[in-house]
Amino acid sequence: MEEEVNLNSKNVKVERQRSSLYFVVRGVLGDRYALLGVFMLAVFACCAIFAPWIAPYGPNEADPFLRLKGIGTEGHILGLDAHGRDMLSRLIYGTRMSMVTGFGPVLIGALVAIPLGTIAAYYDKIGQVIMRVMDIFFAFPMVLLAILVAAFLGAGLINLIISLTVVLIPYNTRIVYIEALAQKRQDYVEAAKAVATTDTKILFVEFLPHVVSASVVYSMTIVGPIIILAAGLSFLGLGVQQPTAEWGMMTSSGRVVMHKAPHLSLLPGIAIFLLVMAVNLLGDSLRDSLDPRTRLQRINN
Amino acid sequence: MLKFLIFRGLYALPVLLGVALIVFIALHLAPGDVTQQILGLGASEERAQALRIQLGLDRPVLVQFFIWLGNLLQGDLGMSHYMNVPVVDVLSRKIGNSLILTGGSLFIVVLISFVLGTMSAARFRRPFDRFTVVLSLLLASMPVFWLGLIFLYAFGIIWPIFPTAGMYDLKNPGGVLDVLHHLVLPATATAAAGVAIMTRVTRASLIEVLGQPYIMAARARGLKERAVVYGHGVRNILPQFVNMTGLNVGFLFGSSVFAEVIFTWPGIGLQLYDSILKRDGAMVQGCVLAIAFVFVLSNLIADFVVYVLDAKKK
Repeated sequence: MEEEVNLNSKNVKVERQRSSLYFVVRGVLGDRYALLGVFMLAVFACCAIFAPWIAPYGPNEADPFLRLKGIGTEGHILGLDAHGRDMLSRLIYGTRMSMVTGFGPVLIGALVAIPLGTIAAYYDKIGQVIMRVMDIFFAFPMVLLAILVAAFLGAGLINLIISLTVVLIPYNTRIVYIEALAQKRQDYVEAAKAVATTDTKILFVEFLPHVVSASVVYSMTIVGPIIILAAGLSFLGLGVQQPTAEWGMMTSSGRVVMHKAPHLSLLPGIAIFLLVMAVNLLGDSLRDSLDPRTRLQRINN
Repeated sequence: MLKFLIFRGLYALPVLLGVALIVFIALHLAPGDVTQQILGLGASEERAQALRIQLGLDRPVLVQFFIWLGNLLQGDLGMSHYMNVPVVDVLSRKIGNSLILTGGSLFIVVLISFVLGTMSAARFRRPFDRFTVVLSLLLASMPVFWLGLIFLYAFGIIWPIFPTAGMYDLKNPGGVLDVLHHLVLPATATAAAGVAIMTRVTRASLIEVLGQPYIMAARARGLKERAVVYGHGVRNILPQFVNMTGLNVGFLFGSSVFAEVIFTWPGIGLQLYDSILKRDGAMVQGCVLAIAFVFVLSNLIADFVVYVLDAKKK
């Protein structure tokens, strides 16, 4: 891939030695939008980690006299929910759930997909079986498959993570598979075989760096949709359960009082929106930095 | 060409069979005793056993699967335990409604993303292009259920110009205009994320095409910019655009579940949601099969159209 791009450039040797990491760092640091995404993600991460210290109240601490009071109530900047719980505190605690259900499945999914896709590409027959099974999963729209698996497993945080992981694996495996197939056609594989390098070594030492970067880029672009999907499943009652503070569920529970207390539904939605936007800003930049077609022009600019 | 059509069509069969198998397994392994759901908690063991024999649950799993598959091929998906009507009856009544919603949002997606995508690519790195990029980022980051609720609040409560529930007006139902009026909010909410994805892909592919040597050649021949972009450029991204549209049908069908739940649109998504909450296994099975079937079919159609477009180009 790199050779094609660099044929026209004069300093071929220098370019070729640069690792993907170089392009990632240069790409992200040189991109204002990506830095904004990183900053926003850092804020969310702090909220998630230090929730008990940042949040003014506990997530389930209720003041029944102030139920449904709107934004700007004294002592409760973002108002209170139907049970009289502080919205700001619940939003801060809710960051934890969205981070875990967003990044967790993507990470686990990648850990499964990388060996699966690499093996499928390297061994033709096993590959045929694996990829045909994946084809069946592609027959379901992602959202529907998640709903089906979540409904089958039952509600709860662990089951939510499992169902999102199951949904992700086919997509990530296909990305890895395509990248590994491209690597397999490279000359160095032939050379490695000629000097009796073991299959395992070719797979996990030679292929891995290329395959991992493809998978990581895909993973970063899918975290946003997965956060939305996780919140959506909780919104439908198939994910995290009451009384845990979770944005999707908070949005859902505000539906019935929409006419008199719209902040119950609107605020958690804004939180999801901001987190997903932060992830998307970073993900888009990563994808552009690692895509050979766009990365050179980015750095030259 | 005929060979391709037949081959591609036949390839969908094992996929659909696999889908049926997964759905069957999912329902079979699902926790909970069917007889208990039908007869209630206090039923005697003899009655439960009789019902199991009646439903064929005492036979080996493999036999059950083939009987179930046989019935499926004859268009029999069993009875809904909760509503006590054949699943197929419910599905055939509701799938049309879901297709209307998906069709409506697909229309919005195709129209807006085509216009925005091509216009922004033609104005690469100019203000309109930047605006489009930011807009698609914002749309891609919005959860469909939240957008639906915002519409509900804005156009149902603050400024009630659109109906927010159902498909028909209760006082004088019927008519295409009535349905369209009800369709606006759920279809727009469903379309938002699709618009974002499709606009990006259209823009990116047109930018790539416009960088090709033959575009430069066309410009060198003195063709007007409009003719270059829309005659040469857009024509060459059409197959990819159609392909993406096909993939989007499934995506929209998935997102429409949320819109159906929020706007109580009487389609398969709302039915699926209700059936899951009521633990109505046969109905869940039917809904999932119906959606997967539509998805596979739409991809098939998209593949055919792409093939025909490619053939024409040659």
